[in-house]
Amino acid sequence: MSKTVMIVDDSTTLRQVVRLALEGAGYSVLEGADGKDALSKLTGQKVHLIVSDVNMPNMDGITFVKAVKQLPAYKFTPVIMLTTEAGESKKLEGQAAGAKAWVVKPFQPAQLLMAVSKLIMP
Amino acid sequence: MSLDDAMQTFIIECRELLESMEAALLSAEEAPASEEAINAIFRAAHTIKGSAGLFGLDHIVSFVHVAESVLDKVRNNEIPLDPPLVALMLQVCDHIGLLVSYLEQLKEPDNDLLEGSAILQAGLSIYLSDTPPPSASTLPVEHDAPYESEGGTPVETDNWHLSLRFNQDVLRNGMDPLSFIRYLGTLGKVVSIITLTDTLPPLDAMDPETCYLGFEISFSSNADKAEIESVFDFVREGSLIHILPPRSKISEYIELIQSMPADDMRLGELLIKCGTLTRQELEDGLASQREVESPDQAKPIGEVLIEQNVVQPVVVAAALDKQKAVKDVKTAEASLIRVDANKLDQLINLVGELIIASSGASLIAQKEALPHLLESTSTISRLVETIRDSALSLRMVPIGGTFSKFKRVVRDVSAELGKDIQLEISGEETELDKTVVEKIGDPLTHLVRNSMDHGIEPAEVRLARGKPVVGTLKLDAYHDSGNIIIEVSDDGGGLNKDKIFAKAVERGLIKPDQILSENEIYNLIFEPGFSTADAVSNLSGRGVGMDVVRRNIEALRGTVEIRSVLGEGATMRIRLPLTLAIIDGFLVEVGDSSYVVPLDMVIECIELPVTQAGHNAENDADFINLRGEVLPYLRLRKHFEITGEPPRRENVVVVQFGDRKMGIVVDQLMGELQTVIKPLGKVLNKIRGIGGFTILGNGRVALIVDVPSMMQEAEHAANAQISDAN
Repeated sequence: MSKTVMIVDDSTTLRQVVRLALEGAGYSVLEGADGKDALSKLTGQKVHLIVSDVNMPNMDGITFVKAVKQLPAYKFTPVIMLTTEAGESKKLEGQAAGAKAWVVKPFQPAQLLMAVSKLIMP
Repeated sequence: MSLDDAMQTFIIECRELLESMEAALLSAEEAPASEEAINAIFRAAHTIKGSAGLFGLDHIVSFVHVAESVLDKVRNNEIPLDPPLVALMLQVCDHIGLLVSYLEQLKEPDNDLLEGSAILQAGLSIYLSDTPPPSASTLPVEHDAPYESEGGTPVETDNWHLSLRFNQDVLRNGMDPLSFIRYLGTLGKVVSIITLTDTLPPLDAMDPETCYLGFEISFSSNADKAEIESVFDFVREGSLIHILPPRSKISEYIELIQSMPADDMRLGELLIKCGTLTRQELEDGLASQREVESPDQAKPIGEVLIEQNVVQPVVVAAALDKQKAVKDVKTAEASLIRVDANKLDQLINLVGELIIASSGASLIAQKEALPHLLESTSTISRLVETIRDSALSLRMVPIGGTFSKFKRVVRDVSAELGKDIQLEISGEETELDKTVVEKIGDPLTHLVRNSMDHGIEPAEVRLARGKPVVGTLKLDAYHDSGNIIIEVSDDGGGLNKDKIFAKAVERGLIKPDQILSENEIYNLIFEPGFSTADAVSNLSGRGVGMDVVRRNIEALRGTVEIRSVLGEGATMRIRLPLTLAIIDGFLVEVGDSSYVVPLDMVIECIELPVTQAGHNAENDADFINLRGEVLPYLRLRKHFEITGEPPRRENVVVVQFGDRKMGIVVDQLMGELQTVIKPLGKVLNKIRGIGGFTILGNGRVALIVDVPSMMQEAEHAANAQISDAN
């Protein structure tokens, strides 16, 4: 069984490209359009890793990660934050919320894939 | 799905984001922008940059990056979003649009484009004066200083040595130490690994969520130190990670041993066991170390504390409530599905065929007169009708999107003309066919520009005429008997009939003694080569355009009419059919031929009064008295030169288009039916009075009457009669 990665970002393009890259590497992919949408999709099924943007409408990434960490089923799910090089404070905020891994935006699919495979093998 | 598809998504998404960015910027110009609006602007730029980065589009990334940095400052209230900045940002929007369209056309960015980027970037960097814009494409990468060390001889091994003591919280953070080591395996070969279990407490005291393990790894790889270090990026915090390159000096190993919060001798043993050091090397090293350093300088074991990183319990509910308010509209957007327009067209074509097939079945049922068959065909017909409506509604989009683009047009054009003009928009929710929406943009732009340029007077003239200084341009859309009306109205000077007439004579479009109705005079401005502007302005007045406007609108089976009051303003009214593909029709027969009149235009049917029968029969147009109203009529039989004798009783179908009515005289009324409009071929599509054809249930072809053009014919005929009489 392949491992499932959830990608949360408000950009359809980004989700689509990330999906392509991850599926190509043998992961299954779930998508969330923003924090709220992603949270509503975390309903019991196994998610091995969450990749989340910070700046999103409806519910930003930090709030989302904090909420995820409150859910018993996903408490230990690793989270990769997509931060910007300018957002150092956001990175720390994200780490405090429980997202210990990060990838700096803009990134190439291979960079994200590398980060993902550090945390979970396909 | 491939990367190309993703690129398409990117282009579409960019356009949407730019649109919302532009809308937010324009609203910011009118009133101080809300935090929400500024966030939306920032997020648009941010998302475009992020997505562009995915495709390695460095020129877009680096350009948007600067804009994003400025917007970030705005977001943090460091600089205000004042009108000059809004104007600059609007240019930035346009430029991003340009960058994206290059992408869409698969064009390589040329010098002009990059120059444009550079100019705007320079404009933006003024706002960033204290922080020079970093180029995002060359993100700083931290390089470690080359490893040079003194003391001792190189150790005899080609392997890296990694000493890992993970943060106790690593598991709680969702990270598995094992997966990092596995990943390490992708960079090279783990020669040997020793797991340290000394900190593992007795079972009853052990917390299964805590990581107690440490690792000593001998690792053979060609990767550089930065690469190996980056493996542990995510766990570095609170962990002790030491990486020693191959052939490090023995003193470095000793330092490592001493910095570890474990018994140094024991670690030394481990290094030997690991194959990193030989016993001799270790002993030599330790000895030399002791000579240099006094013992009290050695780091006491356990001095390095592992910082606990506790996830702060946070009440999410409050945040949820706060965001609920914004939710409504946005969620509606999120539940949309993107569908290829071609698939929709295909569906609509199929529905068309279904309608024809089902009316064929109904026809047979009626002939056979079998009650059960009749019943079931009528059910099918009803369902088909519902399917038709919902299939067509799939193609319907609100015109609001097109309208809101004009905020920008009006803003830019009024600045260019030096006139103060405000735009009022209503009826944005009115829906019409997507094809129509796409094609109406250009003609509408021209009408808007024309109104602003020629319609609305300069401020001093307005003042002299006792009008408010600020001119008003209105865009409105609404339904009117099966048509969509789009109005562009201004409160400017209106059209000058005499001037138009004189100009048309001068241009040789009409003869000086021609008698024209008010409408006909106004319509002259749509004639090719007509222009009344004394000076050709940048915007309009070249005399090309208005005729193109009319052609474009007519191509959509629409018409454009003008209402004008001199000195008070003018209204351009575009009338468009609701849909282009399927309509409800009214079937009539003349001789052996069948015709379909669009049902929306039919008001009533009457019998041709006997007094008129045969009266003036050689002439195809005449009038009747319809309850005190003069109703011009036209004999279809004459119009299409159908041979044979008319029946004793003829019928008149009274149709309305806009505010004009006319009668169409036919032999027989057959009733309503659903009509799939098939376009006429190239050879036939110039025939006036025919708008297309359709296939009836019995397989025969019926022509669809083009009421507007037939009305024109009737009017011409009437005018000709008046002229003759004169």
